[in-house]
Amino acid sequence: MKIVAHFEIPYYQIVNEEGKITSDVPEFAKDPDHLIRLYRVMILNRLFDLKAIALTRTGKLGTYPSARGQEAVFAGMGDAIEKEDIFVPYYRDVGTLIQRGVKLKEILLYWGGDERGNAFECGGKDFPYSVPIGTQMLHAAGIATAFRIRGEKRAVLVTCGDGGTSQGDFYEAMNVAGVWKLPVVFVICNNQWAISVPRSQQTASQTLAQKAIAAGFSGEQVDGNDVIAVRERIFLALKNAREKNEPTLLEIVSYRHADHTTADDASRYEPKNQRELEWKNEPIARLYTYMTNLGMWSKEKDQALNEECAALVEQSVQDYASIPSVSPEVMFDYLYAVLPEAYKEQRDMLIKRGESAHG
Amino acid sequence: MKIFHLPDLGEGLAEAEIREWFVKEGDVVKVDQPLLSMETAKAVVEVPSPYAGRIGKLYGKNGDMIQTHAPLVEFESEDSSVKKDKGTVVGNLEESETVLDEGDVIVGIPQKTVASVKAMPAVRALAKQLQVDLTLVKATGPNGQITAEDVKKQAEQIAPISGKILPLRGVRHFMALAMTQSHQEVVPVTISDDADITDLPADTDFTVYMMQAMAAGVKAEPALNAWFDGKKMERMLHDEVNLGLAIDTEEGLFVPVVRNIGNKSSKELRAEINKFKSAAKDRSLTPQDFQGATITLSNFGVFSGQYATLIVVPPMVSILGCGKIREVVGVHQGSIGIRRIVPLSLSFDHRAITGGEATRFLAAVIHYLQKK
Amino acid sequence: MAEITLVEAINQALAFEMQADPNVVVLGEDIAKNGGVFRATVGLLDKFGPERVRDTPLAESMIAGLSIGMASQGLKPVAEFQFMGFIYPALDQIINHASRMRHRTRGRLSCGVVFRTPFGAGIHAPEHHSESTEAIFAHIPGLRVVVPSSPARAYGLLLASIRNPDPVIFLEPSRLYRWAKQVVPNDGKALPLDKCFTLQVGMDITLVTWGAMVKETLAAANRLAKDGISCEIIDVATIKPLDIETILASVEKTGRCIIIHEAARTCGVGAEIAAQVAERGLMFLQAPIQRVTGYDTIVPYARLEKIYIPSENQIIETVNKVMEFA
Repeated sequence: MKIVAHFEIPYYQIVNEEGKITSDVPEFAKDPDHLIRLYRVMILNRLFDLKAIALTRTGKLGTYPSARGQEAVFAGMGDAIEKEDIFVPYYRDVGTLIQRGVKLKEILLYWGGDERGNAFECGGKDFPYSVPIGTQMLHAAGIATAFRIRGEKRAVLVTCGDGGTSQGDFYEAMNVAGVWKLPVVFVICNNQWAISVPRSQQTASQTLAQKAIAAGFSGEQVDGNDVIAVRERIFLALKNAREKNEPTLLEIVSYRHADHTTADDASRYEPKNQRELEWKNEPIARLYTYMTNLGMWSKEKDQALNEECAALVEQSVQDYASIPSVSPEVMFDYLYAVLPEAYKEQRDMLIKRGESAHG
Repeated sequence: MKIFHLPDLGEGLAEAEIREWFVKEGDVVKVDQPLLSMETAKAVVEVPSPYAGRIGKLYGKNGDMIQTHAPLVEFESEDSSVKKDKGTVVGNLEESETVLDEGDVIVGIPQKTVASVKAMPAVRALAKQLQVDLTLVKATGPNGQITAEDVKKQAEQIAPISGKILPLRGVRHFMALAMTQSHQEVVPVTISDDADITDLPADTDFTVYMMQAMAAGVKAEPALNAWFDGKKMERMLHDEVNLGLAIDTEEGLFVPVVRNIGNKSSKELRAEINKFKSAAKDRSLTPQDFQGATITLSNFGVFSGQYATLIVVPPMVSILGCGKIREVVGVHQGSIGIRRIVPLSLSFDHRAITGGEATRFLAAVIHYLQKK
Repeated sequence: MAEITLVEAINQALAFEMQADPNVVVLGEDIAKNGGVFRATVGLLDKFGPERVRDTPLAESMIAGLSIGMASQGLKPVAEFQFMGFIYPALDQIINHASRMRHRTRGRLSCGVVFRTPFGAGIHAPEHHSESTEAIFAHIPGLRVVVPSSPARAYGLLLASIRNPDPVIFLEPSRLYRWAKQVVPNDGKALPLDKCFTLQVGMDITLVTWGAMVKETLAAANRLAKDGISCEIIDVATIKPLDIETILASVEKTGRCIIIHEAARTCGVGAEIAAQVAERGLMFLQAPIQRVTGYDTIVPYARLEKIYIPSENQIIETVNKVMEFA
């Protein structure tokens, strides 16, 4: 008997929950401006989330999935990705989307039930939110295939939750990425919950990262509350993908400090004190502590930044509220490149009915 | 009583300042309703209510600093302690107080109903065009279906409905209306009898003679010379006999009124009749000529007809009709002979006239006609 | 006796049948500990334990395939797909296997599963949560497709579906889940499958519908009654196999037929009903058959949702148009 294969799954962390360094600090993290940029994205994300939840409570927004407690995951990803790469989100990725050029008001539009929220004024070929779980992994593989066919040195970054790793599409995407050597970086935002199903009931696999081994490439775990580690590991993975056509799977370990969506009620299934216990790992406080200890940051600067971000959030709400309503026949206008004859009558009927929609 | 403690607003900070309360003590709030806005070092945040219920106490006023996890709002007891389960993960489900009462829901085919006419749409359209009533058509198609041929066959059997459409005008129009009204109001009874006028001189002016006979009948039984008001339930018995005389012309039926026939001579009566006849012909009758009839005479039997049920025109209560005078084999004073008889029909409104009154009147008329 | 909502009636039926038949197993995402995102399975875990009430990993194709495997061995799986928009990965399993298991083994194996899912628009949810694609399943030989429209029918038809030895796709109209309550005795009595339900007897026109549109159809009929138009309302309930006889008997009486469904017009189930009524009932018709349906577009996001769903006014306009025809 001999062992023909074995595997190792590394876990990466640079700054721990007390703000102390636990491994080498990468170059970028020595630049205060860069850290402050990352910090700003997290603050903006957090404030925006709170506002979105409040809007939902008052009926101005539909259901909204909060990313509270996971801000470092999305801030880090959005910072690491290059402009010419493609981003394929799932649905909590506000922090990454805003760094890709999507406007806050567009995010409100989407959750407010308006397709214009997916139109992305900034253009580009990033994918819109993916609601059918895990389906986006295959799309990412397809985009990467296009890059290979055209010989472009570009990478694809795709995210899903821990629940998504049980989907067939997840395995199929990883499998083809491995065997075709596709430039995809698969990111699992493991916040420990798939609505009410805890991570332990999702799979018997010890880590989610090791699912990459079965697809023939490497997987790693990253502390999702450490934005420096997140940013660094994703940056390196994307570089690898671009330069060597090697896919990677990163399992970013964090915690969901909110209900699954504003309509869910986690108190039905989440152990009573778990959130409190996990909160001590919270990413914003961690970076605040790290930066303050290094003299890069202060309470005054923090207050000013918060005010600035709050104002941006306020502005986005106003922008959202003042977007003109759509005429309902728009339902037909993007169905095909050119609307076939067969459906013109229905479109006319809609115009005749003369109702208009307003948020 | 339930106390809501200030939650960690998420900034990792120990306290927050009350900026503005949106509710006051005594207010009833819903789950998620914003209670107040609080200012932390980093932002202004609205705090939604975790419970539904009545606010008992607010732990602070605008401007106060509240420590994280310290009491913030007290809710009065009742159901306010239970956090309402929204029961969904996206969107919202409409709830209402509606209670469904579906009554009798029938599973499958209900009881067999009346068999309907079976005809294809094209056949139905044909039937409509040919004015054929499908319910009368004999079906020869499969499964009892009516075919186009069936419809055409039926159409041929019905007399072609062709001819000019003539809207009723003038006299004909009024006749239709008057007859309808009579039919709706009057309770008609007709009594028929014969008068033996064998011994009447051949040159008698029969119409005038009939009028005089009617005057005699009225004298014997004045009830027939009256007006009846069905709504007020009143009769007006007239002293004078103003006789409506039915005159048939090309234009239609005219009934001018010969007034006070009881006090006019035969000559006068005949002159009036002739005056009316020529006036009818040249349409110079005036409205006054038609007003005020108290009883009517219809000499309908000029061409044919023996007995008839005549139309009593309100407010009058009777009308006498003469059929065609004819010869019959009859009995007179015990022996069989050829007799000349005039058939009489007295139609009256039984709301106002009794059978006794009617028959007495008719007897008097016959008596007058048969007198020597 | 308390009145219960449609989703509570589902819960009541599941609890009854799990008690009566130890072979019934319930599975799906978030159905055990959480009781289902709409609470359809609430309380079942506590009553029947984790072997028979299972939270699955997040994978719809797996849920379908697993159920097929379980059913082949005599269990009676009642699997939940969280929304119809997420059932599509399972189509391979449903079409290629569930529908034809009995057929291709000549009865040696069979597939007595129930796949239940909330469907339809109207709850102001994000995209993909508002599908009405029952026509896909109605097209597949070997399947049954059942759609309750009231708490009583939800209870009775779900019991019947679980007891039925063939695969049933059980579509629950989400916007009716808590809309109205009804007295539903927990007596274990199933309602017949493969039969239409006549909810209201009428003389002038037959309105054929199912699911959430029953609500608008009833409301429209009430308004039409004030104008002297008497509507007969048929809830199809079992979309497949279709009880065309009841529909034909009604059209024979009224001579007029309108089919109402939320699903998109082209190749919706209304087209099948219209074709069958035209084939066998043409001789009774006094006017062409009409359909009132959703538009041939992707179901719009929440802002335009109300416009997409056929309205009472649209139903009334169409009835009036039919009544005036010749």
